[in-house]
Amino acid sequence: MTVKQMDPASLNGWVDGLLLNRTVIGPVQKGDKFVFESLSRASDLRLDYDTTLLPPKKFLLPSREILLTFRGDSHYASQAPPDPFVLLGVHPYDVAAIRQMDRVFSEKQVDTHYMARRGACTLVALDAQAVSPNNFAGCMGTATVREGWDLLFSRVGGAYLAEAATEKGESLLRSAGLLADAAPGQLEERDRLWESNRQAMRRHVLHCSPQDLPGLLSRNYDHPLWQERAERCFSCGACNVVCPTCYCFDVQDEVDWSLECGSRCRAWDGCLLRDFASVAGGHNFRRHSAERYRHRYYRKAKYLPEMTGEIACVGCGRCVDACVARTANPVEVYNTLLGD
Amino acid sequence: MEGTLDSPARTSGGGDIYLPRPATLLSVSAMTASDAFFELALDGPEDLGHLPGQFVEVSVPGMGEAPISVCSSPTRKGSFQMLVRRIGSVTQALHRKSPGDKVGIRGPFGTSFPMEGELKGKNLLFVAGGIGLAPLRSAIQYALDRRGDFGRIAILAGTRSAAERLFTGELLEWKRRNDLTLLETVDQPSPGWAGQVGLITGLFGMLRLEPGPWAALVCGPPVMYRFVLRELRRLQVPSREVHVSLERRMKCGVGKCGHCQINGLYVCQQGPVFRAGDLFDLKEAL
Amino acid sequence: MPRPRVAIFDFAGCEGCQLQIVNLEEALLDLLRVVDVVEWREAMSEQSDVFDIAVVEGAITRLEDEERLKRIRQKAPVLVALGSCASSGGLNKLKNRMAMSEARRLVYGRDGGVSRLDTAPVKAVSEVVKVDYLVRGCPIDRREFSYVVRCLALGREPFIPGYPVCVECRIRENACRWQEGEICLGPLTRAGCGAACPAQGAACLGCRGTCDDANLEGMASVLAQYGKSREELESRLAVFLDPDGKGVSHA
Ligand SMILES: Cc1cc2nc3c(=O)[nH]c(=O)nc-3n(C[C@H](O)[C@H](O)[C@H](O)COP(=O)(O)OP(=O)(O)OC[C@H]3O[C@@H](n4cnc5c(N)ncnc54)[C@H](O)[C@@H]3O)c2cc1C
Ligand code: SF4
Ligand code: SF4
Ligand code: SF4
Ligand code: SF4
Ligand code: FES
Repeated sequence: MTVKQMDPASLNGWVDGLLLNRTVIGPVQKGDKFVFESLSRASDLRLDYDTTLLPPKKFLLPSREILLTFRGDSHYASQAPPDPFVLLGVHPYDVAAIRQMDRVFSEKQVDTHYMARRGACTLVALDAQAVSPNNFAGCMGTATVREGWDLLFSRVGGAYLAEAATEKGESLLRSAGLLADAAPGQLEERDRLWESNRQAMRRHVLHCSPQDLPGLLSRNYDHPLWQERAERCFSCGACNVVCPTCYCFDVQDEVDWSLECGSRCRAWDGCLLRDFASVAGGHNFRRHSAERYRHRYYRKAKYLPEMTGEIACVGCGRCVDACVARTANPVEVYNTLLGD
Repeated sequence: MEGTLDSPARTSGGGDIYLPRPATLLSVSAMTASDAFFELALDGPEDLGHLPGQFVEVSVPGMGEAPISVCSSPTRKGSFQMLVRRIGSVTQALHRKSPGDKVGIRGPFGTSFPMEGELKGKNLLFVAGGIGLAPLRSAIQYALDRRGDFGRIAILAGTRSAAERLFTGELLEWKRRNDLTLLETVDQPSPGWAGQVGLITGLFGMLRLEPGPWAALVCGPPVMYRFVLRELRRLQVPSREVHVSLERRMKCGVGKCGHCQINGLYVCQQGPVFRAGDLFDLKEAL
Repeated sequence: MPRPRVAIFDFAGCEGCQLQIVNLEEALLDLLRVVDVVEWREAMSEQSDVFDIAVVEGAITRLEDEERLKRIRQKAPVLVALGSCASSGGLNKLKNRMAMSEARRLVYGRDGGVSRLDTAPVKAVSEVVKVDYLVRGCPIDRREFSYVVRCLALGREPFIPGYPVCVECRIRENACRWQEGEICLGPLTRAGCGAACPAQGAACLGCRGTCDDANLEGMASVLAQYGKSREELESRLAVFLDPDGKGVSHA
């Protein structure tokens, strides 16, 4: 489909129209930061946000989600699938992260809970208009994305360009009525925006190509840096919670007051938390905080890439911001290992 | 009892991978002060369809799920068995159950001992530490049910004390057979125990392996592997012929939750049965 | 299964935690269908000596209280410590930082020397007897208390987080108090309250006691990055996490 254009006022009008009959989630302000939230009106949208506290994964893999309900000892029922919703204004690095989660939950045994949410979701991406202080997506190749979204908005000059990539995206855009095609000059401007985002999203500069990271880590398992940098680590898991590519979860049962009926819930877990790898009887396969600290980098830049071919860090910079101890910056870690 | 068992692990064909299937306990019996033995069958006509060494996620509503090895051989149809140590919420709840009660089952999951594959025709050395005898028992039973398919069979088993010995009735049976060698030890001297005392590695000195193609099947507590592998090297069992079954924390059993990860491997997917030779390069494995 | 019999006892505390139970409102009726409360001074007059679960609120501040607590423990198959005061000594422990005689004078004025008012260093319940379960917090979290009661009635271990408050705080997308220039004890404190204080714009004071393996040394070295002094940290720690920072936290 050809790229269309829309002025900001009609974009808002379109979103208000969508809100009449469906849930629309988008970035809004919270204090001096931003969060994704279910909108009540388009004017709350902050499409000029730099980044959000939590990534939009919270709507695809909720921090706490009922997998099934049970009654007595032998009646289990899967949770009903969610209603359709629009996830609007997702920056490219977060789209890249969602694509990684899509693979995890769809390969081999399909996770019907994630996939039902994903299927209910129309993903509307947005090229960033502001760059957060710790973003390094430009170094990770995720400052722009050409895949993974249904619809992509890009702000050029006074207008938004809208490009649909799927039938879902097209039909959503059709509800905006007749739109003019983007002018050739606007498309060139969009190319310049992409190039400038690729340059601007380097608030921390990785001194190697992401492809070199698995090899770099292979050589440095016993490097003193793991212990040194973990000495300040609180094993607080903030770096896991805020990460768009962290999807590990715990599962717990809860009963209501009947003690007969209840639900089995999954909740976010994090590999930095002390008991992540401990088993009944007391053995912990990663007992020391340095082992857990190291595991996070290995998982993201060696173990998963060796399985999937993709680095499981999109450079959003959220972990850098969320770490009270200021020790979670992946770029600092990799550059130190590189000897720089 | 005949028929091929090389069925792939069951995936719940498009359904919810977290939804257990109801099963009924046929018998429950105490085995030691903290271990109980269960026989169960899935409700409905289906067999579990597992392979020796695979595990299931056992579900008790309100308590949660726990990964438990199937300790019986798939050559014995109609029901399956498990041995459960009482240690936390789910396992305690299982110990309170009686015959006729229901539990939920997901799986079977994971890799198995290749009894119909490369182990066929070989001599088998089983090394079981403590509750590690449970997953190995499915392979031992299998080998005994298809005795002609395998060469010599030796079993080394160790527990902390005599009171913790598992499957004592079967141990006695095995002891009496003349087509296998069983060596047992307990870590601490125990009243009424006249047998060997000491760590399981001590049994290797008593073992005479006839020449021939040997394969080892090993399962025990985390600390055991390194020492046992050293003994196996001394006996010149090649590391590619050593099959170990590992334990890790598990939540999903289906490669999603991330808990069971060892380097690039998920124990619930590429394990729990691994070839020892494939693990040497993995820092956290053994 | 017969309903477990529960007896609730109070020691030194503000009784705020028991008030949380009273405030369960409709859930209180549900609770009473699941357990049989046989002793509770706060809410009923009859008393019973036979019970399955003892719930103990408050810190232990007097020698005779230690004896009473030991007697309760002897009769109780399961003992639950309720609230910060019982779990770790709570605010009462501030007293330990003064000489005992000074504490008596402050509290009782000139009569402070009389032996009837003997006051010993404050102890958490677990410092006197074995505690099976802790319901932490100042005050306790009603949802957590209800959850623990259901678990006990069901005969399972409750899942109480061992990780820091930051996990719940980040999930709620609160502004981090450290970035607002405050000392927040969330990274050292056991989660379970849903990061109640940061959600209200206040720093965590550590009322739930320390998390597993709390990294105090790490905290000391992080202070400098934020231009904070050790004294500031210590005055914060003193409220709930003990002057030496070793808040009692394990059941
Ligand atoms: C592949 C495999 C096979 C096993 N086979 C057996 C067996 O045949 N018999 C037996 O008694 N035990 C076996 N275990 C160990 C058993 O799974 C744990 O003892 C059990 O999960 C404890 O659960 P719980 O709820 O009683 O304890 P809790 O301490 O309350 O555990 C809570 C949850 O933590 C996780 N967890 C805790 N310990 C373990 C652990 N050791 N392994 C994996 N997850 C854990 C589980 O998700 C569990 O539900 C096996 C473990 C694995 C990984
Ligand atoms: S690296 Fe930082 S954010 Fe991550 S667990 Fe450690 S202290 Fe928390
Ligand atoms: S590791 Fe950090 S920078 Fe990378 S994706 Fe996760 S939160 Fe973003
Ligand atoms: S406000 Fe406190 S609890 Fe919340 S993330 Fe910051 S340090 Fe942790
Ligand atoms: S945030 Fe801290 S002080 Fe506040 S309730 Fe939770 S543990 Fe207590
Ligand atoms: S148990 Fe969840 S990934 Fe293996």
